[in-house]
Amino acid sequence: MVWFKRSQFFVFLCLIVVIGMCMRITEFDVSKFKDFQNMGDFLSKWFPMNTESLPYLFQESLLTIAIAFLGSLFGLIIGLPLSFLAARNTSNNRLMYGVTRFFLSFMRSVPEFVFGLILLTTLGLGPFPAVIAIVLHNIGVLGKLISELIEAADKGPMEAMRAVGAKKWIGNLFAILPQIWPNVLSQFFYRFEVAIRTSLILGLIGGGGIGQQLFIHFKTFQYQLVSVDVLLIMVMVILVDYIGGKIREKVI
Amino acid sequence: MIEFQNVSVLYPGTTEPALQDVNVTFKRGEFVCVLGKSGAGKSTFIRCINGLQPVSEGSIKWENKSLADMSNKENLEVRQKTGMIFQHFNLIPRMSVVQNILTGLFGYKKSYENLIGLFNSTERQYALEAIQQVELTVEPTRRVENLSGGQKQRVAIARALVQNPKVFLGDEPVASLDPGTAERIFQLLKETHVKRNLVSIINVHDVVLAKKFATRIIALKNGKLVFDGVPEKFDDLMYAEIYNY
Repeated sequence: MVWFKRSQFFVFLCLIVVIGMCMRITEFDVSKFKDFQNMGDFLSKWFPMNTESLPYLFQESLLTIAIAFLGSLFGLIIGLPLSFLAARNTSNNRLMYGVTRFFLSFMRSVPEFVFGLILLTTLGLGPFPAVIAIVLHNIGVLGKLISELIEAADKGPMEAMRAVGAKKWIGNLFAILPQIWPNVLSQFFYRFEVAIRTSLILGLIGGGGIGQQLFIHFKTFQYQLVSVDVLLIMVMVILVDYIGGKIREKVI
Repeated sequence: MIEFQNVSVLYPGTTEPALQDVNVTFKRGEFVCVLGKSGAGKSTFIRCINGLQPVSEGSIKWENKSLADMSNKENLEVRQKTGMIFQHFNLIPRMSVVQNILTGLFGYKKSYENLIGLFNSTERQYALEAIQQVELTVEPTRRVENLSGGQKQRVAIARALVQNPKVFLGDEPVASLDPGTAERIFQLLKETHVKRNLVSIINVHDVVLAKKFATRIIALKNGKLVFDGVPEKFDDLMYAEIYNY
């Protein structure tokens, strides 16, 4: 077996043990699917869809899109400049680099749900705290992702901008942003898509939008409305993905 | 005009200096080609001149003022009047020909003007004149990544021209071009050099090109200056000495 080293067998064995342990902890048991019938019964209650509330639910979907859009866009607007401070090749000094990196990791490590719960105490219920929660988390995520794009950018244009005597920040901005822009956009649209799903969870703590409707309908056993909610969510996610792809195509 | 005094450069983490005790002076009107093997210190030499590479020992003087003693602003001014062209052109991708050329003016303008692209009609005229001077026949609004190597280098030269330079630096400007294009680019550099009475210092691998165009040749070996003279004096013996054949 020329393709493998002995040490790789050891790694493989370790992996098997870890998988086994994880399956025990998570009560992973495929045989439980024998009660598959229950799921079928449950899903059959979802139909026929109750389309009477469609106009209202559509409106709620727009609210969800608005929350997700503002959350990810403001995240980008704040995260983008920070990402230049958090990239090794454009940061002014190591202290600035370290502090910004730490700040971004911190923002990323706090889930939107937790930001939402904390913000509820000052902002009350509604979509506004949901937007802010998504903004805060996205600053961390987009800031880190873009800083990695910056670090991987071609050094040539930066050198040329230094050579024409441009100020450092102007030179960095012009040498790097055009290079990474298509990737920045695709990160943004991915985060936008994620934010739609996040705003559903934030609906659970009163964030509004189609997520909140979904939980209300679920808890009050209105399954024929649940199916409409789920359908609208799927349409939204696919639509954002499609529009994002088109815009990115145009930009490249 | 530019003077190297005992210049040495040692990169962090290395023991062999990239440049070792280099003393040389350049005057206005000289078209200097720098020869040497890969790794001989040519790039480091060129980058020291406009301060892109700081020196470890010695000093580089511009009109009798050392780069190290200059303020940040003065250092930027030195770079403003130094047009520099590179082997890989170093243009900004996804920007047009004329936008790339206008970045040559960045050193002269205020940050907010650069940021929003505020260039007056005189400056735009400069850019269009530069396109004519480098005999670029493509649409000024075309994106640079769609151009050929020769065209890209012409854009890079035009970017250097709008800087209204006193000095031209070239770091292997023709190394990634075919021989015909390389000679035409050198021709263009020489014509511009003569027209504007510059100091031009250009790294090159092609000895034939260097002997054809240079008014002075200097050669580096292992970071040391081993030849400095007129092209006629650069003979086969010297060639063998530098390239170890």
